[in-house]
Amino acid sequence: MQNNLLHPLTTASTSRRHFLRDCSVGTGKIALASLLANETLFASPKSNAKTGLPGNIDTHFPGKAKAVIHLFMAGAPSQLELFTEKPTLTKLEGQPLPASILGDQRYAFIQADAGVLGPRFKFGHHGDSKQELSEALPHLATVADDISIFNAVHTDQFNHAPAQLFLNTGFGQPGRPSIGSWVKYALGAETNNLPAYVVMNTGGGVSGGAGLYSSGFLPTVYTGISFRGKGPPILNVETPAGISDSAQQATFDLIKRLNQHQLAVIQDPEISTRIASYEMAARLQLSAPELIDLTQETQETLDLYGCDPTKPSFARACLLARRMVQRGVRFINIFHSGWDAHSDVAGNTKNNTGKTDQGSAALVKDLKRLGLLDETLVIWGGEFGRTPMIEQNPTLGRKMGRDHHPQAYTMWMAGGGIKRGYHMGVTDEFGFHPTEDAVHIHDIQATILATLGLDHERLTYHHAGRDFRLTDVHGEVIKQALV
Amino acid sequence: MVQNYQLLMLFFAATTVVQGENNNDNDISFTRDVRPILSRRCFKCHGPDDDARVSDMRLDTRAGLFNGKFSPIVPGNTSASELYSRITAADPDMAMPPVDANSQITDKERAIIRRWIEQGADWENHWSFSPVAAPRPSRNRTRATGAIHNNHPIDAFIRSRQQPLGLRSNRQATPYVLIRRLYLDLIGLPPTIEQADHWRTTAFTQRGTIKPSQFASLVDGLINSKQYGERWARRWLDLARYADTNGYEKDRDRNMWPYRDWVIQAINDSMPFDQFTIEQIAGDMLPAASTSQRIATGFHRNTMLNEEGGIDPLEFRFYAMTDRVATTGTTWLGLTIGCAQCHTHKYDPITHREYYQLMALMNNSDEPELEIPDAKVDQQTQINLDKVQQLIRALPSHWPTGDSDEDKTGTRRVIEQRFAKWLTQQKTRVRNWTTITPAKFSANLPHLELEDDGTVFASGDSTKHDIYNLEFSVNPDNVTALRIEALPDPRLPNRGPGMTNYEGTIGDFFLTEFHLEVNGNQIEFTNAEHSYAKNRYGDKDTSAKTMIDGDIQTGWSVHKGQGQRHVAVLLPAQPIPSGKWSLTMHFGRHFSSSLGKFRLSIATDHKPLSANELPPAIERLLLIEPTSLSSEQRQVLKDEFLLNTKELAEYTKEIRELRKRLPLQRALVLQQRPRSNPRETYIHHRGEFLNTKGESLTGSGLDALHPFEGEFNADRLGLAQWLVSPQNPLTARVIANRHWQAFFGEGIVRTLDDFGFQGQPPSHPQLLDHLASSLVTNNWSVKWLHKHIVTSTTYQQSSIVDPDEYKKDPRNQWLSRFPRTRIDAEIIRDSSLLSAGILSVKMFGPPVKPPQPAGITETAYGNPKWSASDGEDRYRRSIYTKVKRTAPFAMGLTFDAPSGEFCTARRDKSNTALQALTLLNDIMFMEICQSTALQLTNLRSTLNSTDKARAVNAFRRILIRPPTPTELDEILAFYYHQLAEFKSNKKATQAVVGKSDNPTAQHAAWTMVVRALLSLDETVTKN
Repeated sequence: MQNNLLHPLTTASTSRRHFLRDCSVGTGKIALASLLANETLFASPKSNAKTGLPGNIDTHFPGKAKAVIHLFMAGAPSQLELFTEKPTLTKLEGQPLPASILGDQRYAFIQADAGVLGPRFKFGHHGDSKQELSEALPHLATVADDISIFNAVHTDQFNHAPAQLFLNTGFGQPGRPSIGSWVKYALGAETNNLPAYVVMNTGGGVSGGAGLYSSGFLPTVYTGISFRGKGPPILNVETPAGISDSAQQATFDLIKRLNQHQLAVIQDPEISTRIASYEMAARLQLSAPELIDLTQETQETLDLYGCDPTKPSFARACLLARRMVQRGVRFINIFHSGWDAHSDVAGNTKNNTGKTDQGSAALVKDLKRLGLLDETLVIWGGEFGRTPMIEQNPTLGRKMGRDHHPQAYTMWMAGGGIKRGYHMGVTDEFGFHPTEDAVHIHDIQATILATLGLDHERLTYHHAGRDFRLTDVHGEVIKQALV
Repeated sequence: MVQNYQLLMLFFAATTVVQGENNNDNDISFTRDVRPILSRRCFKCHGPDDDARVSDMRLDTRAGLFNGKFSPIVPGNTSASELYSRITAADPDMAMPPVDANSQITDKERAIIRRWIEQGADWENHWSFSPVAAPRPSRNRTRATGAIHNNHPIDAFIRSRQQPLGLRSNRQATPYVLIRRLYLDLIGLPPTIEQADHWRTTAFTQRGTIKPSQFASLVDGLINSKQYGERWARRWLDLARYADTNGYEKDRDRNMWPYRDWVIQAINDSMPFDQFTIEQIAGDMLPAASTSQRIATGFHRNTMLNEEGGIDPLEFRFYAMTDRVATTGTTWLGLTIGCAQCHTHKYDPITHREYYQLMALMNNSDEPELEIPDAKVDQQTQINLDKVQQLIRALPSHWPTGDSDEDKTGTRRVIEQRFAKWLTQQKTRVRNWTTITPAKFSANLPHLELEDDGTVFASGDSTKHDIYNLEFSVNPDNVTALRIEALPDPRLPNRGPGMTNYEGTIGDFFLTEFHLEVNGNQIEFTNAEHSYAKNRYGDKDTSAKTMIDGDIQTGWSVHKGQGQRHVAVLLPAQPIPSGKWSLTMHFGRHFSSSLGKFRLSIATDHKPLSANELPPAIERLLLIEPTSLSSEQRQVLKDEFLLNTKELAEYTKEIRELRKRLPLQRALVLQQRPRSNPRETYIHHRGEFLNTKGESLTGSGLDALHPFEGEFNADRLGLAQWLVSPQNPLTARVIANRHWQAFFGEGIVRTLDDFGFQGQPPSHPQLLDHLASSLVTNNWSVKWLHKHIVTSTTYQQSSIVDPDEYKKDPRNQWLSRFPRTRIDAEIIRDSSLLSAGILSVKMFGPPVKPPQPAGITETAYGNPKWSASDGEDRYRRSIYTKVKRTAPFAMGLTFDAPSGEFCTARRDKSNTALQALTLLNDIMFMEICQSTALQLTNLRSTLNSTDKARAVNAFRRILIRPPTPTELDEILAFYYHQLAEFKSNKKATQAVVGKSDNPTAQHAAWTMVVRALLSLDETVTKN
């Protein structure tokens, strides 16, 4: 059925409606109930049993996943160093690729006739499923039987910002909602106390910028909320110095009473919403510090992730992500940038796997032992892959690197109804083109939504004269990877 | 769940009918009721898209509906109407829309179509494509209790829709509420207490009723204040997608603010909207375009620029063009033209071809930076040059010498001797260059032109690897040296000499290879020198020699030498013979890097290799025999000697500094290309950059609107004139509607950006046409429109909600109360600065950075720091806050300000916990609270130094109206409680008052009070 109710109702109470339905941190139930009483117009398909917070559409069909953790490897890791061994590249090192392979692909930096570069790491097969992984991923090897590896992923974009936007929003330019925004829009929140959609950033800045977690044309409440590595985890969640907890509480009380006086005079329900948003802010001030308080975690757990609980790191972000999932956060982005190996692909890979391999693998293990992996989808991968050809440029001081490669690269997923110990997708002997089971970024996006019980063709929003989808007019769910 | 959906659908269908002009069930309107259904359910396959149409049945045209094959509609006869048979067919093979279609017709919609056919199936043109009428309001003399009816046309139109529904407008709002509302709406700032009190007594009776003429003075004062332009420019900048950075990965700073200032000034100057439009779309094409008119074209330079290494610049230029088409459509026409980028519009009559014809109108521009002339700079330059003359004349007196007269005579002699020696040295170096001019020249994409002085000037687009081919017919034999002059020019980015206009050093070039073939033989060069070379990236050699090394990855560039002349001299292995010379120059980096202006010269003399030239005029003098030099010429050479001799280095340094060109502020503008170098526009299949098809298009407007061809030139100026033509049914409506929305929170057409078939019809069509037509007849004066709106009782009514009326009209569509709306991010910040008494009213200039928490911009590429401005720039109006696209100002983002990445016709008005946290805890708001509190504690006069008076003062600074006794009691109780706490806690006191030499518990406790008041719903709401 066409979701006509998604047509933006540009009403004076739009903000209240979105607040009620979608605000990352819920209102108090009493306030909510009284507000909903005024809101027959906005009766929603189904309220969340736990929070009373409805999404805009609920699921289209039963989904396995309740939460998603997206480990976004910004800058693009080299699939040729990590996932697919290509002996031909070693054999032909230094020689150009056949023209028939190259086609008319445009490159960011290299000339198409650059020689090929053999893999810089040794490969092995791991687990009962014999997953192929290089020695640069020793920790991932220990969860090989829990993940699905997709070796023939392809994308439309070959530069960072557009490709990162493409992966995270389905479109190569800013302005579209991110996956997390779509999911929050559709399913609403599972918690009253934390944002439903959280973003953590553990490397340098990302090329795609805030557009990667923007709500685009969806209402702004669907934007991802940044969880910061240093200082207070959420912007302004900390009471300013010198203001005691009791003074803060007294302030909240005064604000509430004065707002209630106004409500009595004006009788605009929007004032109730404002009152509720302050109640929520007060709760957030308690729940955010509790979330990042890692003293609650055992040493064994900290060791599993390999994280120093006091220092921002990718591993710490993974542990926080697990804690968020436990507390009902719906969608978590962890951006780790630094993979852009135009030079020294070996050193770059070593450096970045050193920072991310243990944390990623620990996250899968930890979720599994807590019984959360089945309902949590974990995704790992970059915005594109890297060329079989070498990149070197004395003017730019580059050697032994690889350029951007959109035709074929690797991502993995785990949990949330994705098969365990599974791999699909084959590339040619150069790792240049897919030869079997290619999956497009829009397919990945359709699959993410499917694990949550959402049909990417029916999750639409009317904007600028037409119904928009995360996957535009493309995308097919990767059915053979689903349990 | 399904049931719920159906309930909702029914509800919406019902509201659609109610929204229309007439509530009579027996009168279905095609425009209002029927076309939206056909558009939504049928046009995808039976609409304007020739490619998507699956049969000959076409339902989007009158002819198709009534005279088409299969008789889709037979008026008065549902059973003979094929369309009706299909939408009611039980047989799944016959049913329409097809059973597997995403869009299914509802029972309510079937009923509407049935009734329409039964009632005779009247067809109307789409309301927004019909000419704007100038309706007269009916005079309604009924006096509803509580509402005083004047004869304001707005009130009459509003009343005519309320009466049938049993609704009526509220009483007039109380004076302080209304004064605050007016200030916030018209200038984006609240009044001060003094201003509010002044207008309370002058513009209202004691009992609070408006005194019309005095009220009009209040309105005029605000509309004519400078702050008015700052308020209304911000709304326009949302549409213009204004930002101070380029966007995408690198997101570097750009010179956009002169355009922002232009908008503010134009609005303050009450520039008629048609002129406002023409200057922004095509100001550069107006006769004798002024600097200001050229700056105005910045509107369409707000498109993003991707400077990421490795992109194809032409691809992203194409994306910028698609943005320009879509933004023009939204801003002026209220149409979703962007939908037709990939294929013909599925709902509206906009074909794929028309989309690219619109693009063709705008596609013939270059995108340079304009240097803004500045009289102050000119004056300073003249002062500097005069000083240079003095200093040069004084140079001989600085020659190192003893003190006696004899020494001085001796010194003159020494200088003469040294000068003569210098002349001799120079003569052994200087070559007699002859400029050679190409007989033929071409390039892969840049447009080359030969200029009078033998220079070649490049313009237009460039690629990541440009190749110039030049052919010369050279006379002299035995050419011993070849010279390339890379020349500056104001037409080039950053004055050149290169064309680099993104990513690299703006105005640089990277000449990678230089090949010369003479009479078919490759010429070998053995050596080369440059006057200057510097690389932006990497530490590798950049030099003239690398132009002849056969390596395409190395080359000559002049980073940081922009706006200056540079030369390279090349020596051949053997003297080069005369004949046909074919020269190939390669330019390339991962970004455009071609030479913008250059000249080639040859010499046949035998001199050592050197590129260390003096200015060309000096070089020419050096070729003259010393004995033949005039005394003036001799003096010029002597000055040059003095400027270059090491004995005077200490004194010539200043001269060199003074001679440097003073920088002028630049602005991003559009500039129409010369006719000699048109850019072709094609249809792009599926909207893809690389996928062009068909023949080059001639620009044109949209067929569904007023005619373009024959009326307007097929260029940007023609487009601008077409947009504001009196024939255009859309622009005036779209503009009037958007201004209405600014005051009332919702438009008369609620879909501000969609006046097409899928948009919502106007709630008050006559009112909309009244506003649109009056706007035009009042010389497109937006100030007039604003005054017209705020002098209506509809605007002046109270916002207090009447529970009965709320039930009848929960969305307040019929305006029986003034709609309360949350105020915009900028107004929230500016208001709190004003209430704290620290708002700077300084206007214009480069963007500023108010304080914000650490770690905001650091998440963007390159982890840029945000160092907050000092002094008054910390407290400027928010329109001057730097807009960084990939890391927007945090407070703005939290309160729904746009990032400037795309055209925004309407902002969200969200209400979130993060907003609460920002108002309470953000460092900027904390500073504002501290400043306000300090002023409260400083209130000294007996009258207002009581705590009660301070509390009233705090309340009124922020909310303008006086507090009620209950409110006052609450505030004072809180204050005394906080005061007691701080008195016993010095450390907390110090922390809460911030920077202060004399932290008092009072200051801290008032800070807490202000902090709570800033967080109130009323504070962030226009009541």
